[in-house]
Amino acid sequence: MSNQVTLSINNQPVTVPAGSTIIEAAQKAGVSVPHFCWHPGLSIAGVCRFCMVKVEGMPKLQIACNTPATEGMKVDTLSDEVKETHKWALEFHLINHPLDCPICDQAGECELQNYYMKVGKYQAQMEDQKVLKPKALDVGDTLVLDTERCILCSRCVRFEDEVTKTSTLGIFNRGDQATIGTYPERKIKHNYSYNLADICPVGAFTAKDFRFKCRVWFLKETKTVCPGCSTGCSVNLFQNSSQREYYRLKPRHNAEVNGHWMCDTGRTMYEHLNASSRLASPQLEGQSISSAAAMQAVTDAAKGLAADKVALVLTAQFTNEEYVASLSALKSVLKSAPKVFIWRDESEKSDDFDGILFRGDRNPNTRGMMDVLKEHGITATVLKGDYAPLAAAAPELTLILAPEVESAYPNLAKAVGRFSELKKTVYFGNALTDSAKKLWLRIPVKTFAEKSGTFVNFNGVAQKLKANPAVFANVKGVDEYFGDLSRLAQSAV
Amino acid sequence: MPVMNSAYNGRQPNDFKILTELEGVPNSRSLEVYKKHGGYSALEKILKGKMSQEEVINIVKASGLRGRGGAGFPTGMKWGFVPKGEGEKYLITNFDEGEPGTYKDRYIAELNAHMLIEGKLIAAYAIGASKSYIYLRGEFYDEIAWCEQAVKEAYAAGYLGDNVMGSGFKHHMDLYLGAGAYICGEETGLISSLEGKKGQPKLKPPFPAVKGYLGKPTIVNNVETLAVVPWIIRNGADAYKKFGTEKSAGTKLFNISGPVVRPGCYELPLGYPLKRFIYEDCGGLIGGKKLKAVIPGGASAPVLTAAEVENMTMDYEAFAAAGSMLGSGAVIVIPEDVSMVEVLENLMHFFKDESCGQCTPCREGTGWLLKMSRGILNGEGQLGDEQKIAEVAGKMMGRTICTFSDAAAGPARSIPQKFAHEFLEYYKKKSSAHGQG
Repeated sequence: MSNQVTLSINNQPVTVPAGSTIIEAAQKAGVSVPHFCWHPGLSIAGVCRFCMVKVEGMPKLQIACNTPATEGMKVDTLSDEVKETHKWALEFHLINHPLDCPICDQAGECELQNYYMKVGKYQAQMEDQKVLKPKALDVGDTLVLDTERCILCSRCVRFEDEVTKTSTLGIFNRGDQATIGTYPERKIKHNYSYNLADICPVGAFTAKDFRFKCRVWFLKETKTVCPGCSTGCSVNLFQNSSQREYYRLKPRHNAEVNGHWMCDTGRTMYEHLNASSRLASPQLEGQSISSAAAMQAVTDAAKGLAADKVALVLTAQFTNEEYVASLSALKSVLKSAPKVFIWRDESEKSDDFDGILFRGDRNPNTRGMMDVLKEHGITATVLKGDYAPLAAAAPELTLILAPEVESAYPNLAKAVGRFSELKKTVYFGNALTDSAKKLWLRIPVKTFAEKSGTFVNFNGVAQKLKANPAVFANVKGVDEYFGDLSRLAQSAV
Repeated sequence: MPVMNSAYNGRQPNDFKILTELEGVPNSRSLEVYKKHGGYSALEKILKGKMSQEEVINIVKASGLRGRGGAGFPTGMKWGFVPKGEGEKYLITNFDEGEPGTYKDRYIAELNAHMLIEGKLIAAYAIGASKSYIYLRGEFYDEIAWCEQAVKEAYAAGYLGDNVMGSGFKHHMDLYLGAGAYICGEETGLISSLEGKKGQPKLKPPFPAVKGYLGKPTIVNNVETLAVVPWIIRNGADAYKKFGTEKSAGTKLFNISGPVVRPGCYELPLGYPLKRFIYEDCGGLIGGKKLKAVIPGGASAPVLTAAEVENMTMDYEAFAAAGSMLGSGAVIVIPEDVSMVEVLENLMHFFKDESCGQCTPCREGTGWLLKMSRGILNGEGQLGDEQKIAEVAGKMMGRTICTFSDAAAGPARSIPQKFAHEFLEYYKKKSSAHGQG
């Protein structure tokens, strides 16, 4: 027996693996079947009764999400009977929904609203009073729950049962009194809670971190990679491009890396991107200078130094391209490779893993960095709590590619304190915090959102970042700064 | 139009005693009395006679026995769906009798629960289950006690245990008490409840016969279905088929409620004339009231008008032909002075309360239907509302996991269609109230 079946959807043939459902086959065929409760990352509930399609030979309409696709099956999603059923399914979903879209934060990305615009657009038929249910419930540190908006699709319940296995949520009561909620004395407490707001097709779960900050239609999404840990989840990064303000990250499906989800830690990876938390221009001994002046100062400091008097301290938060550029530039300027150190936070437990996505190695590109060093034939010394090897090298000039995500380095201040004991230190870092103030020269760099380049995750999967325009026009990437260094050194000769 | 079966003319209800054989017998619930009336001899016949599972299933198939819980699915065929061979399998008795107007299963337990236990043992043998449950409604205090007593007696007498009647067949039986949700009478809702989950029907496929209780092959049978099995094994399929019609074999317990002179639980052959049942067996309506309508098979069955009752026979096919159903056999008699709008509101209240809330059309639809019918009853309706009720009900049919939604839609379609004129009186009330305003 073949392990593929071919069926036709609206007379269009499509071949799928045996065991696929009609809705999966429809997706493959590019036919959209309206649905609420079905989610490709969760088990099948079959309760919203929205995805009904006509299957030739079956007397009743069937739900596409739970009907296996079989060889020669003929599926129709466009007949009047099917359309009428979809319209009524929507009507039933809407009769007790508050329709408070103007004040609902989900508006603009609400599946109920979208389907209404697509298949509905009619006057509601129910004239009686709607069922009232609890609103604005605090269900944990990250989420607010409005049970009146809920359409009881049970995606969130299944997520809690199947993905995080925390089983905090349930549907209580029966009939039209059925209400989503947390079990008594329980709150949603895990590192994947924002996924609940994502999978909620309506505005029942909204994210405290995002609600009421920006209407979603002002946001533009960029397909990129989360810099929060070595898993490197595929994400969409949302920016209000006219304000140059970042608001949130959402997971982007990638079967090889993160499936449908991402963790709450990763969701914070927009915070350090915004102007309010960033260093706007280079600081030489506390004084703002231009980027050109800063790189001139670095070039001057490097001039005439032997390669072994220059230290390059790397963190694994930069792209492969940036490592290559910095090493190549220094090799050409110094005629030989500098001493290379790898800075790891002293509390790091790089082998930790929460069983879902989040890893103890809080650097997105450890694997890529190690590959680049190997290619350049460089043996690096790891600094993890012990900075003596760096001090012993007594560098005249130390160039530090500091962590972009400072929160991943809880002992950052201590490390920087030790760096400040060295002679001239150049700190390529973004944060406006005081931690690096004592250092000789601070140079802001582009964040992961502003550069293209490659991260290689723990598993060897390489993914590309996608660059948005920089928040500060004068801020460059590490590769560009080191290009400047090469050029300046050459012209001085 | 179904034709009255003249074969039953002149016969009294006592002529059809299969399940109710012990009716009126002193101490009927005891094991001795049951054995005196042939109790456990069917089981003995199977075990001592070393009948194969297939033979037992074939007898039940040949008898034409159909599920007595409401759906009327052929019992032998259902048993045949269980995969053959080794492996855990379960048999569950649906004793969650919750269909409004139905009290036949309680009556069986009141007469003698050993009928059920013997029937369960035979069914368990046929499908190869070594464990079975009786899922009882939690409010049935007496029935729980009677079933418990019977199970204990059966263990003591060697009918239950690791080696039933020394045959090597192993079977254990337990009672499980539900909490009174109507939906737990739906077989997959019952299984969810038995598994300790919220009583909600499960998505099919997979069907319980393949993947049921704890993910194992499971058969759920109604009490009445199982209780009649020993008689069929003792007397043969042909003896059972002598009763009833071609497609509705055997006898059935009918529960009649409403203002009739002699309400109660009657055992009658299927195909028995409904009018004769109401007027002769039950003595007609109290005070000579006129009959307005009959709900023939529990709250889920669409209503029949008095005219439709005239030539109606009580069997699966005749009720189905009239757009209703035999259901659980609960005949609800509605007299001339009861408003059909009140009947509708009452039924909608029931269905609104009992919808499990899982599927959207049912969850939202049942509440909507109640609001609309209550509105009409309160004089807030307007012309066309009754048609809207029927329309909404129509959109709830055939679109959900289980048939509860269809059950709720049944009366919500049939009452406005058949009694539209009664709604008009309520709309008038509104306009006259406005006039006084």
